[in-house]
Amino acid sequence: MRPFHPLFIFEVLPQLVPYLLVTAGIVIGTVFFGGLLGLVLATAKIRRGKIGTALANIYIYVTRCVPSIVLLFIVYYGLPEFLLMFGIDINNAGKGFFVITTFSILFAANMSEVFRSSYEAVDRGQREAAVSIGLTEFQAFRRIVLPQCIRVAIPNFTNTLISLMKEGSLAYTIGLIDIMGKGQLIIGQNQGSYSLEVYLALFILYWILTIMIEKGFGAIERNLSKGKKLVASI
Amino acid sequence: MRLDTEFMWETFLDVLHGVPVTLKLTIITLLVSAPIAFFMALSRSGEGRIGRRIITAYVSFIRGTPVVLQILFLYSLLPTALNYLIKVLLGLDFNIFNINPIVYAYTVFILNTMAVLSEVFRSALSTVNHGQMEAALSIGLTKRQAYLRIIIPQALTAALPNICNTAVSLLKSTSLAFMMTVKDITAIAKIDASFGYNYLEAYLVIFFVYILLCTLVQLVFHVLERNVASYKKLITA
Repeated sequence: MRPFHPLFIFEVLPQLVPYLLVTAGIVIGTVFFGGLLGLVLATAKIRRGKIGTALANIYIYVTRCVPSIVLLFIVYYGLPEFLLMFGIDINNAGKGFFVITTFSILFAANMSEVFRSSYEAVDRGQREAAVSIGLTEFQAFRRIVLPQCIRVAIPNFTNTLISLMKEGSLAYTIGLIDIMGKGQLIIGQNQGSYSLEVYLALFILYWILTIMIEKGFGAIERNLSKGKKLVASI
Repeated sequence: MRLDTEFMWETFLDVLHGVPVTLKLTIITLLVSAPIAFFMALSRSGEGRIGRRIITAYVSFIRGTPVVLQILFLYSLLPTALNYLIKVLLGLDFNIFNINPIVYAYTVFILNTMAVLSEVFRSALSTVNHGQMEAALSIGLTKRQAYLRIIIPQALTAALPNICNTAVSLLKSTSLAFMMTVKDITAIAKIDASFGYNYLEAYLVIFFVYILLCTLVQLVFHVLERNVASYKKLITA
């Protein structure tokens, strides 16, 4: 058995930390574009049009069934050829583009559920009551409806964010250098030794990130729930 | 964009050989990790504080780190560590590198799934009113009988949709087993594709195969849910 150098974990950590920006970039990009697509899906389901709902349901069903790595490779190998049919050349696009596209397609379903459940959780009477006491439509939305929506959406959103971050680690398989990719590079530079140490360092980073996301959004949720508790206690 | 349909059909037939492996990985992992997860869930709501801490930390760790990292870590740790254990510490003449890599796949997926399932069971157990246990004990059932006949059947109705989700995401995770040189659907598609660089076609094929398998899993759980819920209707009727 090869020797194990626990100290190397702490040597590797500072080398990995800068690449957290790439990991965060993938997550933020996906939340934005996946969120836009999710908004379309959620709208289709909320409107309850027959065709729209059916299409949205099929989309959600299919993306739920497909492993990320399979879609990642389909997008990576297929999208450039597909777009070339329309005369668009993206063969020089960065790896991040393919990763964000893939995960936006996959996580749009989760995001649509986040939007839909939070929209349906806030009673219509809230807006009516707000408008009736003389708030404008915008004020009612910003001060009354939105804070309640966000509070309901946070637990779902947190879960989506965490699983997105974890799935995002697959991006290294197409050569994106995020913390996972950098870890693989470091292992490669050392001819495959130190792999355990590098993986342990990655474990630490991912675990800390997850806990930070959980705690951070938990704090926001508690903050937004203040009004709720006051009402309930009266 | 031209797809090589002939290749796709051949790959499809090839990939079918991997279906049993993928299903085996999913089913055996679920069956083995379910009882462990149940006891983990029980001891998390139980008395022992140290045990509870360890299990909570374990669950948080597994749920906080990517599966792919768990696979890479265990696959680079287990074979050499076991080899050292058997050859040097125990002095046995047994070549660990001959064992089927699917064993490592089972290990990773069981370690992972039992943590996820323990959360599912914990929330399911909390849906059963505490009075149910007291009532069962008061009419003279033992604790074991109370769990088997009263608590678990009720908790199962609440747990099944979440178990179904776990099964689906486990099925999807098994696509990473190729990293441990297990010849599952994804591995076969990758090998087929590598001869003529037909990656797109190969991945499109398994895209559909995974949708089919996923539908199968959900149908099975749909039938189970109906069966488990049937007792509920009897009572309310």
